[in-house]
Amino acid sequence: MFEKVLIANRGEIALRVIRSCRERGLRTVAVHSEVDVDALHTRLADEAICIGPADPARSYLHIPAIIAAAEITGADAVHPGYGFLSENPEFAETCAQCGLQFIGPLPEQMRQWGDKVSARTLAKSLGLPTLEGTGLVVDVEDAVTKAESLGFPVLLKASGGGGGRGMHVLNSKEELRAVFETARAESRAAFGNDALYFEKFLERPRHIEFQILGDKHGNVHVLGERECSIQRRHQKILEEAPSVALTEEMRSDMSATIRRAMTEAGYLSAGTLEFLLDESGELTFLEMNPRIQVEHPVTELVMGIDLIDEQVRIADGERLKLPARPLAPRGHAIECRINAEDPETFAPSPGVITELHMAGGTGVRVDSGIYGGGRVPPHYDPLVAKIIVHAPTRAQAIAKMRRALSETIIGGIRTNIPLHQRILDHPAFEEGRLSTHFLDELQG
Amino acid sequence: MKLDLDQLRELIRLLDEANLTEIEVEHDDDRIRVRRDPSPLVGPAAAESVAPAVAASSAATGLTPDSADEDSDYVTSPFVGTFYRAPSPDGDPFVDVGDSIAPGQVLCIVEAMKLMNEIEAEVAGTIVEILVENGKPVEYGDRLFRIETG
Repeated sequence: MFEKVLIANRGEIALRVIRSCRERGLRTVAVHSEVDVDALHTRLADEAICIGPADPARSYLHIPAIIAAAEITGADAVHPGYGFLSENPEFAETCAQCGLQFIGPLPEQMRQWGDKVSARTLAKSLGLPTLEGTGLVVDVEDAVTKAESLGFPVLLKASGGGGGRGMHVLNSKEELRAVFETARAESRAAFGNDALYFEKFLERPRHIEFQILGDKHGNVHVLGERECSIQRRHQKILEEAPSVALTEEMRSDMSATIRRAMTEAGYLSAGTLEFLLDESGELTFLEMNPRIQVEHPVTELVMGIDLIDEQVRIADGERLKLPARPLAPRGHAIECRINAEDPETFAPSPGVITELHMAGGTGVRVDSGIYGGGRVPPHYDPLVAKIIVHAPTRAQAIAKMRRALSETIIGGIRTNIPLHQRILDHPAFEEGRLSTHFLDELQG
Repeated sequence: MKLDLDQLRELIRLLDEANLTEIEVEHDDDRIRVRRDPSPLVGPAAAESVAPAVAASSAATGLTPDSADEDSDYVTSPFVGTFYRAPSPDGDPFVDVGDSIAPGQVLCIVEAMKLMNEIEAEVAGTIVEILVENGKPVEYGDRLFRIETG
């Protein structure tokens, strides 16, 4: 096995990787920007190398600096974490060319799944259920015909768009006629092309995702689902596993479908397939994330597995040691993402942590990159901690999370803990009546 | 003027929090300018009192205390890599202690990803000290040479 792992990331995920490596007896190298010289990942790794200034483009995203850091420290493997370079195929390729074992999927898999349109085509060809949609529309009459054949309400989307931009929800052909030319002009102005298409619009979907692991011997395992419906502007805030919306039958059917599909695709390492679940109970593929995800701990807790350690073992060529039958989730886990932001306005709140007390006790896990006296720099992701709880039932997990949040003290910055408390206290949340609009409705 | 330390601390905190490089406050005839990195700060009125306070704030951000006012006398590494003093293993060093240097003159090589990056002088001066041994790894921002300018 490789002996020294460079972690090309910062914050809680860098610590998460350092921890698994240390337990396995691997040495670790942290890379950091100038403002992160005193960050926790810098302090807890066996070695730390300053790779550039605060600007991520010149540090955490700067491939030559990271490779050079691996060279001067003698690291022989790289874990990219999430975000930054984790889904960059050129980075994975460069690592391989420089004799560094990249701990993650293959570069061509990042390319295949990285583009949303090609990912859906691929998913469909692999037998995964995809959201009904149309090809590109030619003109307004063609648009009306296509929308009617799909059935209103429909979502008019710009082919070049993304992140929720360039989308229109349309309930009738009158609305479509009224908006079509404007949408086309908007698309041309915003994305440089006016190609538009339709997707079926789901009124109150849930966001459900399945965790997978694949090894170099052609084995793929599906490790159950997570529900991530509590979102703000497509950013997940609170996640749980399992989802109350899936029956055991739905779970095992979809797990079998995914296992077949991803075995055929030869998928390597950890990945997540995201789905929308409509009110009729139908799951449709949304996208695939070829990396470890922020919310992976809820799966770890209910499945009793260390996903980072599995990634490391897989990268080293070991076989997955999981039972042939899918593992069943044990108990219920919830994760709250604690962000350095104003809970009302969502404005970022960087600064110095003046005092810190993290929750503890049975069934509470905290993955965090902050410490008392440390700083939350303004240059990066506002995620400062993940509080994760595990209990026999969902109701007990909610009670445990309320307890854990009530004893958490983070002084000097503002956090979204009050928002989490409002979510957990909401009757609809307690009853498990969730959709991706939950937060809008809570605040509206 | 009478210097209010609490006010000064507040300014430094603001500077830090808002990630600014400079704040200037003027009131009647008093003027305080708090500035960090790289050259010395302050309006003439408050020069003596402000400098130590700013050094303290630099320490809190993890910089060495003297970096705020002396950085201009050092050549630092613009890359992570390996430091070489000569163009080839048996070649003569680009520069030695006591040498006069001119802007654009090659001082050393930092190798990263098998690429030999020549590091050039930005100012004229004299090499006073060579701070890294030949063949040793350097990080971004590490000091390589101390230079007397002017």
